[in-house]
Amino acid sequence: MPPSTRIPPLLQPYVHLPRNDSLLLLTSTLGATANWLLIRVLCDALNNPEDGGDGHNVVLVSWMREYEFWRQEARKGAALDLERLKKEGRFAFVDGLSELCLDASTNAPATTSKSAPQITATSTVGGSPTQKAPQILPVRGPPGRIVPARGLPQGAAPASPALTSTSVQTSSTTRSSLGHHTMKSLDIAHLQTTITTAISSLTFSKSTQRKTLLILDNPDLLLALNPTISPSAMTSLILTLHTLPSVSHILTHMQSDNPFLSPSTRPQPLETSHHNLLVKLAHMSSRVLGVRVLDTGVARDVSGVVRVTEQRVGWMDLGLHEEGKNGDRAEEGKGREFLYQVKGDGSVRVFERGAGGEG
Amino acid sequence: MAFRKRNIALSRAPADSDASNPIATPTHHSPVPTSPGTRPSPIDGRPTTSTGTPSLDSILAGHAGFPLGTSILIEESGTTDYAGALLRFYAAEGVVQGHKVHVVGTGEVWGRELPGKSEERGNSARKEGKERAEKMKIAWRYEGLGQFESSRASPSVSQTTGQGDGVAEERQVFCHTFDLAKRLTLPVGTAITYIPITHPTTSPSSPFSPILQNVQQQLSSSPPQTIHRLVIPSLLSPALYPSSASRPSAILQFLHGLRALLRQYPTRLTALLTLPLTLYPRSAGLVRWMEILSDGVFELSPFPYSHAQALAQSAGTTKDEERPQGMFAVHKLPIFHEKGGGGGAEDLGEDMAFTLSRRKFVVAKFSLPPLEGDTEAQEQAVREAAGGSAMPRKEELEF
Repeated sequence: MPPSTRIPPLLQPYVHLPRNDSLLLLTSTLGATANWLLIRVLCDALNNPEDGGDGHNVVLVSWMREYEFWRQEARKGAALDLERLKKEGRFAFVDGLSELCLDASTNAPATTSKSAPQITATSTVGGSPTQKAPQILPVRGPPGRIVPARGLPQGAAPASPALTSTSVQTSSTTRSSLGHHTMKSLDIAHLQTTITTAISSLTFSKSTQRKTLLILDNPDLLLALNPTISPSAMTSLILTLHTLPSVSHILTHMQSDNPFLSPSTRPQPLETSHHNLLVKLAHMSSRVLGVRVLDTGVARDVSGVVRVTEQRVGWMDLGLHEEGKNGDRAEEGKGREFLYQVKGDGSVRVFERGAGGEG
Repeated sequence: MAFRKRNIALSRAPADSDASNPIATPTHHSPVPTSPGTRPSPIDGRPTTSTGTPSLDSILAGHAGFPLGTSILIEESGTTDYAGALLRFYAAEGVVQGHKVHVVGTGEVWGRELPGKSEERGNSARKEGKERAEKMKIAWRYEGLGQFESSRASPSVSQTTGQGDGVAEERQVFCHTFDLAKRLTLPVGTAITYIPITHPTTSPSSPFSPILQNVQQQLSSSPPQTIHRLVIPSLLSPALYPSSASRPSAILQFLHGLRALLRQYPTRLTALLTLPLTLYPRSAGLVRWMEILSDGVFELSPFPYSHAQALAQSAGTTKDEERPQGMFAVHKLPIFHEKGGGGGAEDLGEDMAFTLSRRKFVVAKFSLPPLEGDTEAQEQAVREAAGGSAMPRKEELEF
């Protein structure tokens, strides 16, 4: 099915990636998750034949959701076959859920994991189970990407993505081992090497003309899980990844619930660092998509509100390209709001306020 | 799949898995019917199990049950323990269905206080005596029917084909009725495992990591058809947990690991957690992360107890059981919110209230009943609005 029917027409210009390289931000709240919107972005990036280019490669890094969820939702909501795209080298998934805080060594003989052959495939390649990073990482040295000398875990952490990627190619008998990477440590250096490996695995396999979209799904969770990571370390990591020659866009999905936006009277470090990261990223991003619930309460035919805010002046390139369309940009600077409704079959209806009746 | 005869497919599946495991792996896609106490969701067919509370099952976004591989966090403010009753129903349902129940943090006393199965099954409050005997007869008839049906199929099917609604055969019931005044006699052996909370002596190690390892071992060592239920009463309560547990790095890493575990066993594990909101308010970022990491979030806010109202109710109306005891807020539903919406959550925006009685925990739409004096006043107002008093109107009619 062509993407135009999958992506609601009102949302199409905002789901479509900007022409110039940029950072994008997507926020969501507890009652209104933005997974459906991420699926639409995936859909647009992975198959848009228009405007000369042939789409983007996508690296999806997810800390909150497993690959199986994304695979099913992409199939249902966007008619994307992520398995096939993985094989073609256009899509890579970095799993930040299954082994980040869970010691995978004790459950190597996973019995009936119908959804987790890739987990067992990657967990068995790491050599001896004792070599794995400990399950709960202790509080460690200075924040940032300068890693202090540590014991065994540090030696294992940077080595493991390389191990994973090499053995992934050898053990390609399991259907999804290609293009599937797993994070095993809460360390930010490990995160960087894993993502870099995932990105390079795509660009090496395909023509370099196609750029890569990097989607970070809830990197704010990493800050919450490991308080030693500072928001500035995270933003500098994002900028470092953005400077990679093959990466054109980075879409970051973060939580923007009230407790994070307006911290309590005696704010916890967790709240301040989240707030810090969110504001920094919002300023850096050229487009902010916010998903939240209706302010007036739950309605039966409205799932929530999408707010799109385009940065009037681009962050790095001062927005000189699109000088001609001043009228549009003035309107976009104020931001636009749509209502959306996710239906049971995974399709989404997006409409303006007050225009709920027609499709 | 659709054209296969159900009975044949089911009876063949175990034989296949015995003979050759790698070939039989496709049949693992539907291990749903093979375990007792589960049934497929009417929305998307994913396996669900019962929370032990029928009305809680019914509000889970149309899945009519607790989807396996998900977790629910129940928050409660105040000093009451309504959420504890939900936990007990959940655990008791697991014990009755033969699931493995893991209880974190409490001793065996908690398990001994599980409610027993209510003898009076069925939802209508019937009178005792003759009618009950009649009901037993009906039940017996259905039982005979069930046996007849199952006698045609293989014995393994008889456990599983239960639709759960109103089928009186013991093993086919999806959700039992429990009686808080009774005590469940635990089956001999390991119906419930108690996972203690270790108080770590060294600061960096988390008190939660042994819990996850324990559950992980239990999951990987048990046969693939067993369903596990993880019960975590009053998470982070200082009575049970050391103070280091409420550090974000400890509790959030635990919940993240639990989420990973649930996703790893999408057809075998559910978890129900309760959180004392008075100690950890929802406006805190930590609690918000806990909610985000859980699949479903409910909040119980009990009404303050007032003597006068209770007396008035007991003296006056007979429907004092219906009086709600608190508000029940739905903040997140297991599969529904992950998808961003969809069908099934019809009454999501309604005000819900809960009522806990001896036999049931009912969540229903909340509406204030009209006051008695108020209705009279309303009738008066209607009469007056119709035009003058009643007398001249009558005259007009006679004329």
